[in-house]
Amino acid sequence: MKIAVCVSHVPDTATKVIIGSDGKSIDPSGVTYVVNPYDEFAIEEALKTKEQLGGEVVVISLGTDANKESIRKALAMGADSGVLLKDENQRDSFGVAKALAEEIKNQGAEIVFFGKQSVDYDNSITGQLTAELLGYNCVTVVVDLKIDGNKVIAEREIEGGREVVETSLPVVITAQKGLNEPRYASLKGIMAAKRKTIEEKEAAPAENYVEILRMKKPAPKQPGKILGSDASAVPELIRLLREEAKVI
Amino acid sequence: MIVKTDNAQIQSYLVDAANYKGFCEAVYFPENENEVMELVRFAIREKKKITVAGNGTGLTGARVPEGGIVLATDKLNGIIELNEAEKYAVVQPGMLMSDFKKLTEEKKLFYPPDPTEQNCFLGATVATNASGAKTFKYGATRNFVLGLNVILPDGEKVVLERGRQFANGFNFTLKTESGKNINCKLPDYKMPETKHAAGYYCKENMDVIDLFIGSEGTLGIITQIKLKLLEKPGSLLSAVVFFEHENDALDFITEARNKSYETRKNMTELGLDAMGLEYFDKNSLDFLREDFSQIPSGYEAAVWFEQDCTTGEYESILEKWITLLRKHNANPDVSWIAESETDRKKFHEFRHAISSKVNEFINKNNLRKVGTDTAVPDKNFIDFYFYSKRLAMESGIKFVIYGHFGNSHLHLNLLPANDAQFRKAKFIYKQILNKAVELEGTISAEHGIGKLKREYLLEMFGEENIRKMARLKKCIDPYLILGIGNLFEEKYLLE
Repeated sequence: MKIAVCVSHVPDTATKVIIGSDGKSIDPSGVTYVVNPYDEFAIEEALKTKEQLGGEVVVISLGTDANKESIRKALAMGADSGVLLKDENQRDSFGVAKALAEEIKNQGAEIVFFGKQSVDYDNSITGQLTAELLGYNCVTVVVDLKIDGNKVIAEREIEGGREVVETSLPVVITAQKGLNEPRYASLKGIMAAKRKTIEEKEAAPAENYVEILRMKKPAPKQPGKILGSDASAVPELIRLLREEAKVI
Repeated sequence: MIVKTDNAQIQSYLVDAANYKGFCEAVYFPENENEVMELVRFAIREKKKITVAGNGTGLTGARVPEGGIVLATDKLNGIIELNEAEKYAVVQPGMLMSDFKKLTEEKKLFYPPDPTEQNCFLGATVATNASGAKTFKYGATRNFVLGLNVILPDGEKVVLERGRQFANGFNFTLKTESGKNINCKLPDYKMPETKHAAGYYCKENMDVIDLFIGSEGTLGIITQIKLKLLEKPGSLLSAVVFFEHENDALDFITEARNKSYETRKNMTELGLDAMGLEYFDKNSLDFLREDFSQIPSGYEAAVWFEQDCTTGEYESILEKWITLLRKHNANPDVSWIAESETDRKKFHEFRHAISSKVNEFINKNNLRKVGTDTAVPDKNFIDFYFYSKRLAMESGIKFVIYGHFGNSHLHLNLLPANDAQFRKAKFIYKQILNKAVELEGTISAEHGIGKLKREYLLEMFGEENIRKMARLKKCIDPYLILGIGNLFEEKYLLE
């Protein structure tokens, strides 16, 4: 059985984002890129699934040479092989899904893992689009997963609770935090990863349906007000909470 | 200047992280150097003792007042200069370590002193000569202090710059800004050659600035600090490795330590050179497992290590570490290597979490902790480790051992469950400190003495040397107002 896990290479959330000179993209200089944090849960689940059912795990990422860093991390964690779908240009979610679906078909993977969203554009859509293009079942925001033969039982987070979904292979699962605790790359994994090659190919072409027109930063937070440091400040605090903030 | 006297408002200034409690009349919050000087003059006039307070993260009671007034450095918290080209920063003492780290990292600069508690004030780290995980390579705070502005307890100001004012033998002169000369004599005792933070730093012909670093708020009030910075390393090799047998872990550390020394001595290119080598025993791993479920079970010990290098050097240095790890039977399947900045941060949390996990346990179960801060020369370390561990095991008291083993510096925390065990733990504590001194080590390698450990300082240095420290203190603090009760009891000042 082949298990695919799709990983996105994204700016670290601790990075201070600066908008590039074109006003439509971020300035990559000085930005640290990492494996999308939700994809780490996806990688871990793919590895656990392999440990349970056998088979092999292939990591797929779409982007530039820089994405190899994230692929290599997945290989060091224990994935068997990696594929970089090369495209220097920015794609929308459909464009990404199209190329990924082609490669998953090519690999013959029947279980596919994604993070529930990538933390750069936060569209939460690539997994679902890929499933649709492949004609696979799809369960999103998964926090618990059991695969038994052809049967898939997934628990997913919903507003105010959880629901249990039963479906069958082939399936696309998008991982939510809580699904597992991702392992760290082991010494053995790192040594083994050195011997694993990353296959590079041109990403299948796709039209973009979404164009980014402009990026802007949110308005800066207003500075707080300090009214005093003892009890004498309380009446003014109450007045402001009542009249200005209108919360009491 | 804000002054607080309301009991509820000053409570947090009457205690520290060791839960040592005190009392005072008022807490003052000077906002600049002049206000500090005014406050000192006021204290001299009114015969009030001053205790200088950092952020209360210390473990020795040094910031806890025993009467008099508290000078809180909270409002002296600015950065005056961050010079990227010449790689230094000028800061006020109340700046938070974590804020300072953020500021320097943004400029791709690196400040190596890395105490576990990142909520400490920089001034306090100078006053205790704080160290941490990277001290094995870079040394303690002392190595990074280029200059200090100090308000002396007689109300005068001195500006100290490293490399400018030296003692002549054991005699030295402090030249104050107003032109006054203060002539004093340094104690002539010999300090241990280990990492050391117990008593005044004194050496023949020493740089006078070093006397104030680690003086625990007894010789002056630091109002400005110039700190040396380094360029941020291009790459960091960071790992947590697990050993089935503690002996393998200890042998690994010994060899890694020796190899690091060799690399530094011979300036070997691509040599193995750890920034920090930190040890965790099985009990520590059990504590940490609550937060790190990935910790494998059935292992007796773990070692965290880090080496800074350029991106190009990374691979060959990693190879060297792997060879060493294999030699000492670290399990390659379960040993973690950071593959990203996020992993490295997690490993840092792993490194820093142990003391807070232990403190959580203590608070939850309403226990008291008895913890050592001892270091000995490398050649005696393994003996010292097993001596400490044997005493702890024989006592039947729950304990954890971890520490900065690169520096042969060990924290043994005994966690007594009742009063009888507490008394026993205190007894063991004393035996371990005696053993550290017997093995040419120190009773405190990084936490300092404060008020909690002065009886042990007395034992380490002997009464005659404590008197010499007290004479030095009196020379600089003739009115006996500053940090009274830190390092030694007040009675030595009244002789």
